[in-house]
Amino acid sequence: METSMRPSIQPLAIAVFVLFAALCALAGDVKIIANPSVKADSISVGELRRVFLLQCKALNDGSPVVPALQKSGPAHDAFFRQYFGRDYEEVWTYYQGLVFTGKASIPKQLGSDDEVVEYVAHTKGAIGYISPTSSTDGVKSLVVLPDEGKRERTLVKRVEPEYPDTLKRLHIGGIVRLRVTISPKGSVDSVELLGGNPILAENAIKAVRQWIYSPGASQSKVEVTLSF
Amino acid sequence: MYRRLLELVLVCISLAQWGWTQEVRIWNRTVQVHGFVSQGFVYTNQNNWLTMNTTAGSGAMTEMGLNVSSQITDKFRVGAQVYDRNLGQLGQWHPSLDWAVADYRFTSWLGIRAGKVKTTLGLYNDSQDVDFLRVFALLPQSVYPTDLRDATIAHSGGDIYGNFTLRHRLGELSYTAYAGYRNDSIYSGYPYLISQWGTHLRGLGGLQYGADLRWNTPLRGLLVGASRMNQDISGKGTGFVRLFDPAAGIGPYYEFSKANWTNQFYGQYGIRRLQIDAEYRRYLRDQVILNGTSENITDVRGWYVSGTYRISKRWKVGSYYSRYTVTDAFGGLLATFTPDQTDTSRPENHLYDTAVTAAVDLNRFWDVKVEGHFMNGFANAMYPDGFYPQQNRQGFKPNTNALVIKTGFHF
Repeated sequence: METSMRPSIQPLAIAVFVLFAALCALAGDVKIIANPSVKADSISVGELRRVFLLQCKALNDGSPVVPALQKSGPAHDAFFRQYFGRDYEEVWTYYQGLVFTGKASIPKQLGSDDEVVEYVAHTKGAIGYISPTSSTDGVKSLVVLPDEGKRERTLVKRVEPEYPDTLKRLHIGGIVRLRVTISPKGSVDSVELLGGNPILAENAIKAVRQWIYSPGASQSKVEVTLSF
Repeated sequence: MYRRLLELVLVCISLAQWGWTQEVRIWNRTVQVHGFVSQGFVYTNQNNWLTMNTTAGSGAMTEMGLNVSSQITDKFRVGAQVYDRNLGQLGQWHPSLDWAVADYRFTSWLGIRAGKVKTTLGLYNDSQDVDFLRVFALLPQSVYPTDLRDATIAHSGGDIYGNFTLRHRLGELSYTAYAGYRNDSIYSGYPYLISQWGTHLRGLGGLQYGADLRWNTPLRGLLVGASRMNQDISGKGTGFVRLFDPAAGIGPYYEFSKANWTNQFYGQYGIRRLQIDAEYRRYLRDQVILNGTSENITDVRGWYVSGTYRISKRWKVGSYYSRYTVTDAFGGLLATFTPDQTDTSRPENHLYDTAVTAAVDLNRFWDVKVEGHFMNGFANAMYPDGFYPQQNRQGFKPNTNALVIKTGFHF
């Protein structure tokens, strides 16, 4: 009985795996690309939406951007479903409304991933979307981040502060409170001492300067407390 | 007329062959060309509607537009659209410059448009001519009366506009503030209405200014907003020297505003294929008429709730309930002839309309809509809303059912 079941379980398992893989692919089957002139390495969902709804012409960091659409295809459908929550037909109607009331022109429409990559690579400020498996030669990929406020900057690399032996022996400890300014790329731009034991502050600041956070759409600040 | 229409359709089809975005290169610049044409047929079982002889079935419902635009720099854009329509006695195939704008966007929160600019008022005022943008063949007439489109559609002047992202996940705000001059076609609803009394306007228009503020709320797909418009409108032409007395001869005629304002509040919720809209408009017009001898205060309140759903890529359905009431008060000489109209339960002072629509996109460029209207009232006041005595000389009946079939082509 057991041996006779094996041949039928295996195809079923494969089918389930394939289905799971397909669903996984569907969940994230679009990649955002930009011309290398775009300074940012990441873009928030809200910013992406504003760019493609023609509500802004520059990213938060000041980089001018020009959206490029696809005419159809899986990446096209996934893009509007994932980031707009609406079918493309509704967004197309929105574009037409702007065009026929004199309020905007329809963004460039391209026929395939390759055409998008080609256009984005050669157009200053261009931003587009392609399937994740497509080549990104000549363009940069942008990380899409949840909207500001819907996420926290997570610490990716932590360097522990040095606790001098002398102070440890003398049982001189306590806390140091710092305000850390994090760049959009995740590096620490500056550290401000808010309070705590001033003898420990120098080492705390020195360590925190080496910390690395996850990227964000803009500069952000967090408060940290270190205990000695 | 039909030959002209056929010619335009052929031109549109030729233009559509250019491709998806209808782009051409002129003087080394990309120029987008877009256009639309729609043709409607209306049948009503009772009163004649929208200045057409609809009880016999009428196809006098055509509109079309053609626009060109070009992005000169990443911040500067120019464009213009020509528009023409024939709706019964309105429009009468007299083309007009619908909009012609130069638009400079400094940043996301500040841009300016100048020229002849479509007026932002509520959800659909600026796009009300563009039939294919919506599911319905006719927008709710309580808020967007098609016979009075000229009264709100555009102004020659300028807008400042922009949008802000609010902190603390509070969504986005968009604003538009505008000022300019409104110039109505003499082939629009109000001049046609008062022509029944022997008054023929040669010009109608004046200052129009206002603002619109809309909030894309943190709940994705939910938009709420408010608009305000003030106007100072005057009209000039000819009329009977003595009121309602043709034998006394014809002389100059003028009228002007003492007050003229519109408040509009609206909300829209869209998720995937479903969209729900609701709008309320109050329009108050205090007009000194008949060469300064009389005064007419018209107070219009209209609202609607609509829902549309895209069943498939091609098929859409929708329905709305639209409610319109109007009161009129009179002063001066006219008050001796006409009592005030304040009872909105009477059919001459209201128009309630339930509409159901099915629409299909035959292809990317061509759509067909079938729409039923079930109307109570005819709102035939000093300010019109679809029903005119000139087409209903036998008198009005309280209820009207209408069938509207419309097809449109756009590229």
